[in-house]
Amino acid sequence: MEEFHYRIPWRSRNVHPGHHRSQIQGVGLEFRGHATLIDYPDPRKLDIHASLHDPFGQHKVKLFSQTSLIPILVVADLSASMGLGTKPKLLSRLAAAIAYSAYRTGDLFGFLGVNDRIVLQYPLRFSKCLALELKHRLEKGPFQGKHLGMLRVGPYLGRQRALLFLISDFHFALTEVEALLTRLKPHDVVPVALWMSREWQAPARWGWAKLYDPETGHRRFLWLSPSSQAKLACAFCNRREQLIALCRRYGRPPFFIEDEFYPEKLTQYFLETCA
Amino acid sequence: MPEIGFAHPLWLFLLPLATLPYLPFARRQLPYPALAVLTGIASTTWPEKLHKACSCAFLSCLIVSASCPFVKEQKVARLGQGAHIVLTIDHSSSMNENFSGRYFGGSAHETKSAAARRLLIEFIRRRPKDLFGVVAFSTAPRQVLPLTADKEAIIAAVGALGMRGRGLTNIAPGLAMALETFRGQPLTGSRVILLVSDGGARIDPDVQDRLRQDFQDLAVNLYWVYLRNPSGVSVLNPPKRRLSETSAPEIFLHQYFQTLGVPYRVFEAENPQSLAQAIATVETLENRPLPYFETLPRRDLSPYGFGLALILGVPLLSWAALEIERWLA
Repeated sequence: MEEFHYRIPWRSRNVHPGHHRSQIQGVGLEFRGHATLIDYPDPRKLDIHASLHDPFGQHKVKLFSQTSLIPILVVADLSASMGLGTKPKLLSRLAAAIAYSAYRTGDLFGFLGVNDRIVLQYPLRFSKCLALELKHRLEKGPFQGKHLGMLRVGPYLGRQRALLFLISDFHFALTEVEALLTRLKPHDVVPVALWMSREWQAPARWGWAKLYDPETGHRRFLWLSPSSQAKLACAFCNRREQLIALCRRYGRPPFFIEDEFYPEKLTQYFLETCA
Repeated sequence: MPEIGFAHPLWLFLLPLATLPYLPFARRQLPYPALAVLTGIASTTWPEKLHKACSCAFLSCLIVSASCPFVKEQKVARLGQGAHIVLTIDHSSSMNENFSGRYFGGSAHETKSAAARRLLIEFIRRRPKDLFGVVAFSTAPRQVLPLTADKEAIIAAVGALGMRGRGLTNIAPGLAMALETFRGQPLTGSRVILLVSDGGARIDPDVQDRLRQDFQDLAVNLYWVYLRNPSGVSVLNPPKRRLSETSAPEIFLHQYFQTLGVPYRVFEAENPQSLAQAIATVETLENRPLPYFETLPRRDLSPYGFGLALILGVPLLSWAALEIERWLA
């Protein structure tokens, strides 16, 4: 089972002990400050040095922050475009890796599979076997319809700030991406873009293709020539830059998965974005 | 406007199949999720529209051609230029004499038959549009050549009549055979029997009736070039004496020809010059164009349809070869 390490640049408010820095004062290693013994009557944490320095002669105790858990949420796009090529396999591996990593870190894990509506829901829970179940479940997944249900997942995400993995191919208008990110703003959103390099690596020969978008049903006639691969790659390159610029404004840049999912790259991504 | 008919009209019930290229399920399309990304790449739709229109036209052509369309038979007013002329030439022994009635037997002076042959050959050379046939007759008729446009053959046939003539002048079977030449031929120009003889013969009354009937049925004009001996009777200026059918059959023949009910002229030639003049007169008479109705047979149009389908189908094939069938899936 693949796993990776993740970290967050903000403090959790969850009272349950966990792995992440939190605003909750309690048993921990992170020093927060001093308080009087009257306020926090715990003589075990009496700080003699601070007490002697206190101009008012009061007894001081040390206060520590506890480490708390955070909810890990996955909102996966199960629309028709995600059912093409190797995307279902990548999606199931990724979801399983997230679920397993959450379990190993000791965080709550919840999953929402969305196309036109929410079709697959696992509420927040601690579960060891959820990773396996997701892996098998998502490979078959009902990949159909559009992605519009993602705009309505807000009420299902809970009130606590969560680390939210937004998995999609983002093959829709940038305005829609922006609307989606705006609605998910209460959470720490990690956009994960699942792309296949074959999407821009067209067959290198002269010809034409009638393309249709399985989500919207839009059709398009495309002339292909040996040079059109470069053109398509350029279009995807522009798209990538636009996506990065947009997502940065809402917190984190997107994490791109092209053809193959490497968990260590995800770890590296968290190291880079939460320095 | 020509009428169109169909030999197998049931095929036309398949004609709605020509709309197949326009039906939504008839298109092979590749699923491609990232159309929103391709907005920067110019889009054209006319090749697809053209392809659909071509496929539709191709199917229509095939189906319509399979139903074997044809243009129904039609009558067309035509102006006939060339005449059909059957040279009916006397080949009896008297033709071996010259115009003075002397028999030379192939000597230096020109015999009647040689003069007639020479002038006829010139006549044939001057009329390239006409069809000629040749019938020779003496005691019994011979069909030398049916109606043909092959000038070489005609000139050869007329020239072959220079062989020594023999027998009697028996006009009726000769005329009957000349008339038979026209039977079954399309009427595309005036029909002429140019009878060249140096005498007449008695024709039985029942044979006369049959010939008259044939002349009228086949609408044949008759020109008789009468090569007269100076001693013979003239049909144009008959002598004032009492004539019998045995002593002057030409006069009675002339009278009979006048009752045929078809255009008829007689030319008397007493020497080669007048013979040439007679033939020139015939030539001017037969230069008139003849309006007639031609019945065109029905014309099968399906080869054109299949040809058009082929012309459309070859680009469609190459178009199909350019289609990309697999990309993402």
